[in-house]
Formats: sequence, structure tokens, C-alpha cells
Amino acid sequence: MCRELLTIDISRGSAHDGPGLRTTVFTKGCPLHCRWCQNPESIGVKNEPWWEKHSCIGCRLCLSACPQKALSADQNGIRIDRTRCEACGRCAEICPCGAMSFQGQTYDGERLLREVLRDRLYYEQFGGGVTCSGGEPLLQYGVVAEFFRALKAEGIHTALDTSGAVPLENLQAVLPWTDLVLYDLKLFDAAEHKKWTGATNERILQNLLWLAGHAAREGRPKLWIRTPLIPGATADEKNIKEIGTFLSENMKDVVERWELCTFNGLCVSKYGRLGIPWEFDGVKAMTGETVTRLWRAAVSAMPEERVFASGMTRSSSAE
Amino acid sequence: MKRTQIRSERMQTLINRYHELALSGARKANSTGELRCVIERGPFPKMSEVPSRAQGYRPEAEQWAEDYAFLLDTMEPQIHGEETIVGEIHWEMADIRPNDPAVTRIREEFLPKARELGELGGYCASSAHTCPDMEIVLTEGYDGILKRIREYKEMYGRLNNLRRHRYLCAMETVCLACIRYIERYAAHAEALAKAAEEDAERLQLTRIGTACRRIAHHAPETFYEAVQVLHFSILFDKAIAHGNGYGRIDQYLLPFYQQGKKDGSLSREDARDLVAELYLKLAGCFFGVGGRKEDGTDAVNELSWVALEAYDLTEIDCNLAVMWHSDIDAAFYAYACDILARYGQATPVLINWDIMYASELRSGIPKEDAWKVCYAGCQWYSIPGKEYCGHDMTSVPGITLLLRALKRGVTEKAADFETLYRFFEEEIHYAIRLIQAVESLTDQVRGDLWPEIVTSMFAHGPIERGQDLAAPRGVDYQYTSFNIAGIPNVADSFTAVKKLVYEKQLYTLEDVVQACEADWAGQEIMRQRFLNQPKYGNDLPEADEMYVKVCNSFQEIAESYVNRRGGQPFRPCLYSYMSHLSSAGVGASPDGRRCGEPYSHGINPQAGASKRGMLPMVHSAAAADMRKFQGGSIQIELQPKFFDGKEEHFAYIRDFSNAFFKSGGFHLNINIMDLAKLEDAMEHPENPEYQQLMVRVTGFSARFVSLSPDFQKDFVSRTNYASLER
Repeated sequence: MCRELLTIDISRGSAHDGPGLRTTVFTKGCPLHCRWCQNPESIGVKNEPWWEKHSCIGCRLCLSACPQKALSADQNGIRIDRTRCEACGRCAEICPCGAMSFQGQTYDGERLLREVLRDRLYYEQFGGGVTCSGGEPLLQYGVVAEFFRALKAEGIHTALDTSGAVPLENLQAVLPWTDLVLYDLKLFDAAEHKKWTGATNERILQNLLWLAGHAAREGRPKLWIRTPLIPGATADEKNIKEIGTFLSENMKDVVERWELCTFNGLCVSKYGRLGIPWEFDGVKAMTGETVTRLWRAAVSAMPEERVFASGMTRSSSAE
Repeated sequence: MKRTQIRSERMQTLINRYHELALSGARKANSTGELRCVIERGPFPKMSEVPSRAQGYRPEAEQWAEDYAFLLDTMEPQIHGEETIVGEIHWEMADIRPNDPAVTRIREEFLPKARELGELGGYCASSAHTCPDMEIVLTEGYDGILKRIREYKEMYGRLNNLRRHRYLCAMETVCLACIRYIERYAAHAEALAKAAEEDAERLQLTRIGTACRRIAHHAPETFYEAVQVLHFSILFDKAIAHGNGYGRIDQYLLPFYQQGKKDGSLSREDARDLVAELYLKLAGCFFGVGGRKEDGTDAVNELSWVALEAYDLTEIDCNLAVMWHSDIDAAFYAYACDILARYGQATPVLINWDIMYASELRSGIPKEDAWKVCYAGCQWYSIPGKEYCGHDMTSVPGITLLLRALKRGVTEKAADFETLYRFFEEEIHYAIRLIQAVESLTDQVRGDLWPEIVTSMFAHGPIERGQDLAAPRGVDYQYTSFNIAGIPNVADSFTAVKKLVYEKQLYTLEDVVQACEADWAGQEIMRQRFLNQPKYGNDLPEADEMYVKVCNSFQEIAESYVNRRGGQPFRPCLYSYMSHLSSAGVGASPDGRRCGEPYSHGINPQAGASKRGMLPMVHSAAAADMRKFQGGSIQIELQPKFFDGKEEHFAYIRDFSNAFFKSGGFHLNINIMDLAKLEDAMEHPENPEYQQLMVRVTGFSARFVSLSPDFQKDFVSRTNYASLER
């Protein structure tokens, strides 16, 4: 079993990933490749260099430090040839200003636990805890299970944010120490799912059916469904209605909350740092009216008090 | 949660007058806002008649008192329509009398030492923050105080201790001037009452006249009289430019409140309006509510609520502190947080009473006094009427000491980090000895030059001992507190030097000193390396341990020195009000800071250094054991969008501060400010919308547009948080 967790980030004070105030541990590596992904650095398991234009002073020390000659410079700054890069880390080491770095960081269980327990008093006051998100945390289910078990021994609330696109055993391994599952349902149509995420959703739906049955029998964990509202991809009434109907028919009483999370383009800079283009670059935030329409579609199938829309919107007058 | 306070027409008139005064510029707008109660009337009109000018200046308590009496006597009574709480001042002592040790007999010794301290970037100035005990005047009245003064004055005269005798003669002069001032108000109210045409007006003026007649001599009998005499007494103190705190208003006014409620003469709304009038008249005055009682139970009572409701009614900033403790009434604390969230102007200040109490006990103050501790303005606290520490009178910038230590490290070839750090500790010794020397010299003449006679009238000891509260043993507890500026910069500099010079050996100490002296000219790569080392303010053990080490060095060394006021130790405060103003003269530092760039204020991380969000930042701020220090506040600037989509704003402030205090945090100043608005206010200070924009600068609040451009720039460059996350 893997003892170390590969992460991209630990975000303290999060109010978006479960109840209360939380620490969210973002793991690295994901079986899906959603074209809108908000954390592109979390997809690959391999560590990748990450260059921040605004921090760079243009000293170019990194160029000569790279044994693979994977770096070059032009008027836009540093260019990274990802086919050559072997993630040795020398460019980040020599960079004086922290502009060049690697987002992947391994944490051994003890260090991870120490880090997230720092905010214990804040979890207690705000009724929060720790969320494992990603990437897909269940790719590293062994260490996540150990991590959650240790958190439960400390009396900390645990939440698992998963795409469900993993073998059922991975999910089962973590469940005994999981208080809440945030389960992503992005697209109901299998072909569309394949088109936008690179994989069909059969396994995702099967795992969810099993999870809902388990939660109904055992009375735990709690289950929240999360659907990203992506313009042109997931954000249409048909998709939302289909997901809603599926939930309503199969797990109406088990789903405590269904969150519709609106698209925002803030992560475009991440694509910039990775030096890869993003097809959602320039796509505007949704209008409040659009979100309301989709919310109506959702509540046509699921009880209104359990459907929540969150995230950025823009006013229609700004169009 | 929201408790809307309904304003009567009368209160609305008084609130309007407050705003008119602020906008017209009639309120004295000194940078700290502590003197906003002064209503300016141009230059002092009888300057040539001031005793010290007419007779020739003598640094003597008696002449100081004559000047003070002359100042009060010059102020004609002013009663404005609809007021029930009356009294205002137009000038302060500094307008008529110098406060400069160089004019005294210690001049020859003092000047070189003061210059040496000045070269270090330190100062010895300002008027101390302390906390008079207002209960004395509320229970004894001015006649009671006068009687004691005369009794001891005669005793010391009889015993031929002329120094003490003369001090009490001076105090008698001051006390009589206070009585005359109140009597003039009585007479003025009576005259106005006679001339009044309307019954209601006559009744109101008669009530003022009757109250003033009584409290000019006797202890107040009603809540109204108590608030009125409190107001006069604070004005008497404020006429000496004081940043004093005036204690636990919800405790010392409580007997009057309870009596009024019991006999049916006072409603909760009446009391609220009277306290609100007091806030309006004083326009920013340090009071504390909450805390614990002597038996350790929660001290929150109905009057604590009234003190908050009065603020909620007026919506003016008033430097009120809520003294949190782990058993504080949850509904009361929620209300305090609700007010803070609604107005966003750092009122109330949230301060950890349990730490103040522990700190006082740790200093050796017995339990029976320690529990009385109260917030005393800015970041300080004091036992009312029993403690004088010269808060904020002395400051030393840590960065200068660091730079001196680095230079010595080069000359003497410090082979390892420990040796370098030892040099730094020796620099701390040097600075404290210098402060001690300057303090000792000024202590010798303080009683002659600038005695704290008014504050001493409201203290335990000065009358009986014939000694000013600032003089040796004037009151029981007399530590010397001093400010240390830029501790986070010192810590981050050491972290970087340790890593890059001693561990990685990328640079020599000489390189570092040269680069700092050249203000990093031609060394941007090197500067970036130093700038990008682990920084205090991110909950990183490496950086925070260095911060704690530096804090502890100051504290341990300071406590090994004693002052000449009864040989009590020095206590460092992790704060400096001057830091962001005096940064221009401080050289570049190895934390990557350029020369002249502002350094960190208090224990807030250097601007831009906190990169992991608010929670890691406040963890760092709670890393040092705050019981060892004489305060240290953390400023938090929240963007209004922090609360987007959140229904109960107060709950965020409440839960956050609860956790912060439980983790050992000491003091929170929370501003909720739209950054874009502030930037626009800098561009367009004349915009009426910005006139009442209040911000908590650090220990004090001020109107944003009245701040100097430097202060404004410093303020908007602070780390602002739009969410608890990064």
C-alpha cells in the first residue's frame, strides 16, 4: 500500500467542499479528462513544471539548469517542452523568485495529518472538517483510507469528493471512515460523457447506485451530489432533468443535497502556467437567469429544499 | 440577530451635530483620532496670560497645575440644543505648555542619549496609555477627592516633606479647577433655564443645572449624573492629550443603572441614549466591556448590552472593546460580532481577556487586582488606577538592531548562525540599556515637567503618597512597556540568512550586508532569493519558530532590566504605531525588503508575505505566547465579498474569533472594507460619501480621508482577504 499521498494543494479555510469551514486536500491524478477541468495540474500523475509569469524576473537561470534542454525563452517568457521534461526539479530549485515550481507534492500520512489538524479549533467552531478532493482521491484509496481513519480517531469530520470513475473496491475501502461523500454527476448521457470527459459514465452510475443503497441500509455516509454547470457541455435543461430523474427514482431519500456549481473561468491562469491551451478560455460566467432556469429543471425532479446553486454568476445587463 | 436601535428625534439631532462637526473639520483631527473630542476654536486666545508665559517657564508641578487650571478656566461653557450630557474642550495642554525634557535640568545628559536612541530609530515620546479608575470619582465625588488631597497635603507639610506637599498643592489646584469648570456649567444651565421659553426646554436645562451643582462637589446619585460626571472627568484627562482608556464602563456604572431600574426612574432605552450621548461627545474613546468578575464568572450584564446598543444606535466609531473570554455570554458575543459585521469598522475591537489577566498575573500582580484588568487603548491593557507602564512612550525598530548585528557578524566573522544571533541579542541589550537610560533621565524630571496630575486624581496611591502615578511608587504596578517594531521582518531576515548564508552557503554575510547597504542595487536575483524564503504569516514551522525566537529574545532580555520606578521590569509590546510612518529611514533588510518600504505593523506579516490564506496567517500570529508580552494586535482587512452568499455574517466573525482566541490569539481589529472604494477615496477625498469612512488603522480608528497619504497608502497595500482561503 502506498504510504504517501501525491497532492497538488492543501487549501485551508475552504467553505465550498462540504459543511462548515474545511481544509481541502487536492490529490493528484484523475481517470477523467474533463475538458473544462478547473484543476488541470491535478489530472496527470506525473509531476509537471509550472511557470508563473507574474513572478518571473526574466533571469533565465532555469534555462541552463535544465539537463534536458526542455526550457526556452521568447517574448512571452519561458516555454516548456513537456515531452522533454523529466521533472527533475532543477529549474524550480535554481529559480530565485518562485516563478518556476512543481505543483505535485508528496505528503506522508503523519505530515498530512499534522497539517490538517492545525485548524481543528476552526473546524469545531464552524462545524467543518477535512475534505479529500482532486484529481481523484480514490486513485490513492489506500492512503486516503488510512488518512481518514486517523482523522476519525481524532474526531474530525471527513468528506470525500469523488468522480466515482474508479473500481468499486476503491470506494469501499474508504467508506468506513467517511462521513460525507460529495459525488460528481456531470453528464447523464453516456456518449456525451465520453465526449467531454474521455470516459463513459456506466461505472460512475453503477458505483453511485451501490453507494446509495449502502447509505440507505447503513444510515451513513451522507451523500451530496455535485453537478458542474458548464456552458455548452453540462449546462442544459435536458441533462439536469435526466440527472434529477435518476436521483429521484433511485435515491430520492438518500441524497441530502444536490449542488449545481456554476462555471467560472478563473482557472485560465493555471492553463497558462502549464503552457497548455484551454478551450473554455474567454467563456463568460453564466447569468443569474440561466442558473435559475437550470435550478428549476433540477427541482422539477428533486425536492426544492435540497437543490442548491452556488458559484459565480454575472448580471444579464452586462452582456 | 439584528437588533435595530430606534433613534428618537432628539438622538437624531445629536447624531447630526456629530457629523456636522466631523465634516466641518472642527474636531481636532490628529492622526491617532484620540483627541477628536476637542472642538477647535482657533489658537488659544489668552496665550500671553498663561502663567508659565506671564511669570516665566519653570519645570515644576505647581506651575504645570496653574497652567492647567488656566486652560480649564478659559473654556466657556457650551450647551447645545437637545443635549443632556454637556461639556466640551477647545484646547489642550500641548497648546500652551512645552513637554520637552531638553528644557529641564537633565538637558546635558538627556540630549546625547536621546540622540543615540534616535539614531537607532527609536523614540521616547507620546503620552502614555494607562487606565484611570473612574470609580473613584463616581463614589467619592470631587469633594471627596479634594478632602483626601488636603488631608495628605497637610500631613506632608507637617512632616516637612515639601516635595510631596508641593505635588499635592498642585493637585489641589487642578481639582479646584475641575470643580469650577463644572460649576460654570451649572450656572450656565441655570441661566439658560431662566431664559427658556418652552417648558420642556426649561425642564431639561434645570435638570442639567441641578446635576452639575451636585456633581461639581458630590458623588452622583443617578445614572444620568454618573454619565455626566464621567464625561467631565474624561474631558479633564483628555485636555492633556491622553490616549488613556477609561475602564470597564459596564462595571462601574452598573450600580447606578440597577438603582435607576429598581426605582423606576431609568429605562434601558434611557440608559442607552445617555451612553450614546457620551460616545458622541467623546468621539472615540477607549472603553472595555465584558471580561470576567473577581470570582472568574462572566462579567457580562445588562449594561454591557446597553454599551453595545448605544454604539448600534449612533453608528459612530467609538473605540469600544469587547473583552472575550472562554465563558462569555454567547448571545452577547454574537451581538458584538453582528455589530462588527454590519458596520465593518473594527468596532468593537475584540480582545482576549483571559490573556490580559494571565499576563498581569505572570507579571506578579496579585489576583485581587489582576482581575480588574481592562483594555486601555490601542493594544494595551492596565489595572485601572493601579498600573502605569508608560505604554507607547518608547519604541525601538528591530530592523536597525538586526542590521547592526549583521555588520558586527562581518567584522567579527561570525562562523555560525548562533554566533550571529548572539550578536543580535547583544544589540537588544544595547537598545534596552539606552531606553533605560533615557527613561531614567526623563523619570527624574517627569513629575516637574509633565506630571500626570489628572490621571493621578483617579488613581490609588498618588494622593496618599504625594507622588504622581508616573513617579516611583506612585501606583503599585509600574512596569516599563516599550514597542518593538518590525519583528516579522527581523524573523524573516534571520530565516533567510540562516538558510542562504549558513546552510546553503550561497552568499556570505558580507554579501548580505553590502546588498542591504546598496539597497539591493544590481542584485535583483539575490533579493528574490531572500524574498522567497519561508515567511512568517504562513503557518510554516521554520519561519514561525524564528519569529517566536526573536519575540522571546526581546522578552527575556527586557525582563532582565528594571526601571527606576520601583525597580520593576521592562515588558515588550509586539507593536509599533510609528512603524509604518518611520520606515523611510530604515535600511533594506535581508527579508528582501527595500529601503524605505514600510515594514510590518505589529505582528501582522510583512505586506505580501502571507500567501496561504487567512487561517495560516492567524496561526502564525498566535505562535508566540502572548501572555509574555504587553499586547500585540492583528489587523484583518476583509473585502465585503468575503460575505457573499453567506446568510449570517456575524457567525463568521464569531466562529473565527472564537477559534482564534482559543488557539492563544490576543487581539483582533477587523475592517470590512471595499478596497476599490478606499482607492477612490484617496483620489477624491472631497466626495461626501467618503467623509465618514472609518478605518481601524491599528490601535485606533480614524476617518480615512483625514489620514496622511502615507497612512492611506500603507492601509490599502495591506493584505486583503476576499475569503478565508487564499
